[in-house]
Amino acid sequence: MHPWIPTHGLVRRRIRGPLSLGDLTQKAMSESHSNAQRVPTHPGSGWAPTDNNSTGWTPTTPDTGWASGPRSGSAFHSTSGRVSSGSRQALCLWLPTFELRLELLRSPELDTTSVALLSPGESTRRTIWQVSERAHDAGVRPDQLVSQAVSLCPSLTILEPDPAHYDAAVDSMLETLSELTPILEPAGRGRVFLGMDGLGRLFGSPENQTKRALCSLFQIFPPPLVAATRAGMAPGKFGAWVAAAAARSGDPVIVTESELTKFLARCPVSALPVDPLIIQRLERLGVRSLGELKRFPEPSLVAQFGEEGRDALAWSMGKRIDPVRPWHRPKPIRVSLDFPNPVGITETLHGALDRLVERALSRPKRRGRSVTSVRMGAHLEGGGSWFVETVLREPTTQRERIASPLRMKMAISPPPRAVETLLVEFTQFGAQSAQTGLFDRKDENGRAAAGRDLAQGEVPPSLRDAVKELKLRLGHSPLYRVVEVDPWSRIPERRHALLSFDP
Amino acid sequence: MSDAPRLRPLGLPRVVHVRTDEFGDPEFVRLSGKPARRVEAIRERWRIDDEWWRQPISREYRAVVLDDGRSVTLYHDLLDGLWYAQRG
Repeated sequence: MHPWIPTHGLVRRRIRGPLSLGDLTQKAMSESHSNAQRVPTHPGSGWAPTDNNSTGWTPTTPDTGWASGPRSGSAFHSTSGRVSSGSRQALCLWLPTFELRLELLRSPELDTTSVALLSPGESTRRTIWQVSERAHDAGVRPDQLVSQAVSLCPSLTILEPDPAHYDAAVDSMLETLSELTPILEPAGRGRVFLGMDGLGRLFGSPENQTKRALCSLFQIFPPPLVAATRAGMAPGKFGAWVAAAAARSGDPVIVTESELTKFLARCPVSALPVDPLIIQRLERLGVRSLGELKRFPEPSLVAQFGEEGRDALAWSMGKRIDPVRPWHRPKPIRVSLDFPNPVGITETLHGALDRLVERALSRPKRRGRSVTSVRMGAHLEGGGSWFVETVLREPTTQRERIASPLRMKMAISPPPRAVETLLVEFTQFGAQSAQTGLFDRKDENGRAAAGRDLAQGEVPPSLRDAVKELKLRLGHSPLYRVVEVDPWSRIPERRHALLSFDP
Repeated sequence: MSDAPRLRPLGLPRVVHVRTDEFGDPEFVRLSGKPARRVEAIRERWRIDDEWWRQPISREYRAVVLDDGRSVTLYHDLLDGLWYAQRG
């Protein structure tokens, strides 16, 4: 039996020839009552192989879904036949528990201890996100509550996540790999697809291409991290991901066009990029591998699972090839504010957020574009970082519409410690909204209009021009705004501050 | 750490020369660049002990009236022993 195929749960059935899924459903439903405790559920562990011998790690990456971009939602393109854009030949580089490995590189003294990384973005019921091998041996698992984890492993070292650090590592990884191929598609942190079409003449055989990609990682990552990277090459992202997950560290799996169907047949159904409920139902029906799935006729799969049943069959037969598409990320607009003293008061952070959004909106780069996605983060006292992100309901250029959802996110998931630097990032942009154009305040003149503009975060053109002139003469803006930092502080110098006025 | 614009705090304390009486209250104050002035009255006094977990703050404040009629807020830093004048 293939190591991926779970040996627990329902007894596997031999399926000979096309079967009716309706019959199997009835059978499984009757069995599920008697065997309810044995039904495999695969809680968040995905389908990655538990290859402890080669890596010394238990794969704990919970996100087996596809994503386009390190911080974006799902995007899974596919083509049948010729690929019109993107690269058909895909190389997947995957670093399981990427974030925890980065933490261990930062604190090597923790390497010999039981370590767990907390899930980001939760405030009241913190859960475990990633665990080290020692912690895993002690029974600590992802998604466990911290209290459970500590009771299982009293010596457990629990680390707060540092998203800024991880994102910086991803960015440098993408930058390095982009020297190899222009077609790069990140899929979550620690996993990236490279389009390898046409690189044979430059780098030689697929084995050499894979080696070249892995070697390039030495420029940015230390050898232990590169050694833990799994690589898989196949036609299409799905095949490459399956190959990478099947690979051992330092031993890439390369699947050619002719081998793809045979290779996929051995994979578990949990590899399919379809609704997890469908996978669960397939497993309850005793369909464990893609090879078993493809023996069913398409109409019966469609009857059971709808369009996704058809998709599942296409994936499992290797008929669906999803090309690697070049990932485009607009250059974000980033503004930040350093506090003289670490701030933990929500009202102060809200005030700073408003000012940062105003500043980001007034950036010339933003002109003519509305904002659709925004991110707020902080560097925390004593190290570490914190981030929340929101996609706006509609593109906007209004401060309040941008700041309000961020404040709500902050209320749900506040920074765990006092904030040293607060930052706001506009990450996605839309067209300029028609409303703003209709009522453009820049056409107004007069003191009253200017005052109102300033209050709204807009700067009157006359003042902007004056500051511009002063900057040309002096090299910096000599104007400041008095801003409230912590107006009710017992310490007088914490109450108000000057902020450079540079529209 | 970053090149972000830094907030410049307003009302930062300035070191002043203070002569105290036998009870530790300010008797004469010499503000920077000014002649020494007698303290006519102490209007209010309070104490702040804060942030022991970070950089401890321990101050004894006195709001005083000088002989030229000016109101000044002074504090005695109990950690470094110096006197400061502060707006606020």
